[in-house]
Amino acid sequence: MSSFLKHRPSLPLWLGLLSIGVLIGVAGALNVLINGHAQVYNVTREVPWGILIATYVFLVVSSTGLCLLSSLGHVFGIEKFEFIGKRAIILAIITLLCGFGAIGMEINHPIRLAIYAIISPNFTSAIWWMGTLYGLYLVLLCGELYFLMKGMHKGAFAMGMLGFIAAVSAHSNLGAVFGLLEARPFWHGSFLPIYFILSALVSGGAIVSMIVYFNHKQSGTPMPQKYEDFIDTLGRLQTLFLMVLVFFVIWKIIPGIYGHPPEKYEATMAMLTGPLAFNFWFFEVLLGLLIPITLLINPRTRTPMGVMWAGISATVGIFFMRYDLVIGGQLVSMRAGTSDLRDGLLHYVPSVTEFAIVIGAISACLLLYTLAERFLPLDTDEH
Amino acid sequence: MKNKRFAIVLDTNRCIDCKACTVACKTENHVPLGTDNYRNWVGPEPLRGTYPDLGQSFTPSQCQHCSNPPCEHVCPTGATTVTPDGIVHVIEHKCIGCKYCMTACPYDARYYNEEIEAVDKCTFCSQRIYGENGQLPACVETCPTKVRVFGDLNDPNSDVSKLLAKYPSRVLKPAQGTKPNLYYLI
Repeated sequence: MSSFLKHRPSLPLWLGLLSIGVLIGVAGALNVLINGHAQVYNVTREVPWGILIATYVFLVVSSTGLCLLSSLGHVFGIEKFEFIGKRAIILAIITLLCGFGAIGMEINHPIRLAIYAIISPNFTSAIWWMGTLYGLYLVLLCGELYFLMKGMHKGAFAMGMLGFIAAVSAHSNLGAVFGLLEARPFWHGSFLPIYFILSALVSGGAIVSMIVYFNHKQSGTPMPQKYEDFIDTLGRLQTLFLMVLVFFVIWKIIPGIYGHPPEKYEATMAMLTGPLAFNFWFFEVLLGLLIPITLLINPRTRTPMGVMWAGISATVGIFFMRYDLVIGGQLVSMRAGTSDLRDGLLHYVPSVTEFAIVIGAISACLLLYTLAERFLPLDTDEH
Repeated sequence: MKNKRFAIVLDTNRCIDCKACTVACKTENHVPLGTDNYRNWVGPEPLRGTYPDLGQSFTPSQCQHCSNPPCEHVCPTGATTVTPDGIVHVIEHKCIGCKYCMTACPYDARYYNEEIEAVDKCTFCSQRIYGENGQLPACVETCPTKVRVFGDLNDPNSDVSKLLAKYPSRVLKPAQGTKPNLYYLI
């Protein structure tokens, strides 16, 4: 027993830490409910979307990525991927719900949204479509999980196929929430809807590598060949996703600086040399891209542990990709004469309450998944 | 009866940066205290010339009441809407506070009003212009140098129509395709 414990993080400690994280989030949420958004958030009139929107995007990208990765198995019939089905789908549901929680704390009236999105819909609004498509996606994920748990493969296939379509639609539409804003040159265009689909694959691959590694680690037995083969395949696939993502990042930057396009240039430079530069170079480029690619491209480090570390590194990097994308697009003032500029840019630093809610949302994801792992039969029967 | 097309024509050469328009607006429309809370503003232009021969202009502005308003397109619940007379306004009880309109507006004309619990913006003082006495918007009435002229572009005899017929003018950020209804005389 003692050697068994040595090989895995102590579960009570893990649950305790996550519970504290959730409590921090609850305290943040209560602070908002008691004192009001304006008093406890650092978002402003000119930077109205803060870290909670970035966290929402991060979590729903994760959800989409998990759905896409799991669909490789039970929709597209790549056998190696079938055994991750239930775990990927249940975590997709959890990340989606926690993402909803994060955006629910950012918007002022989530209840009005539920009412007026139905009785007074505006079909030209990408946020209306976002709510509708993600709602549909959630229902399909739940259906897919039901059929997977019951071992009904035809139903799971049908739901998985519909879920795949919903995931890609909802997620590219999330890119369009930003991409349709003509007023924000850093976001505007068809780049973001496409980029979001690719980055979801990277997110999904990274999280699946962690799921498989830690889930196995918990059992305290040597890893079966099947798992090792899967992780090797996943690692290669993830290398492909990451390398394509490198080109997405490069081609996001070049049009942003070439010929100094107004407003786009300033926002791009905010990432390259300005207030977001550390986030960009350290978290996005180093942790998000270079370290994972280095670990994954070398057969000696493409071990289960290496792929897992690449996954953690990429996931941290991806969080900052979301943050920099959301904040970077708002740093250029919409009009001349705004007094409170630093080096010609607006500024935003998340407040303590905003951080608390982010910690709460991410802890809630991990806690719910850990509980699901303990109490639900997630091991797939062979078929 | 033909609908109106309300607009404001501004002669910025007259602006002395006294900010009476902002104060009048805040009072008239119960805009809460706070540096982020305002419906109109006076934007300082960059200094011209070199010392001691310096000059500066000021550009007062507010919601442009665009004929093609991006804020209306993006609002998920139709809380932002346009009256038949062209006034872009927010139906408070429908506003979910997602602030999408604030990111979509190229003029930074909107803010979230914690007191009315909705996004708030210039309404051309609709309570005054449609009121019993048919008053002018507060910013127009209070301006000591008469920078702003308010009126109906669908009426060729209105002051705004006459000014735009007589003088060349520009709008802010025309490339956005928003078709603003605040006109700046050149």
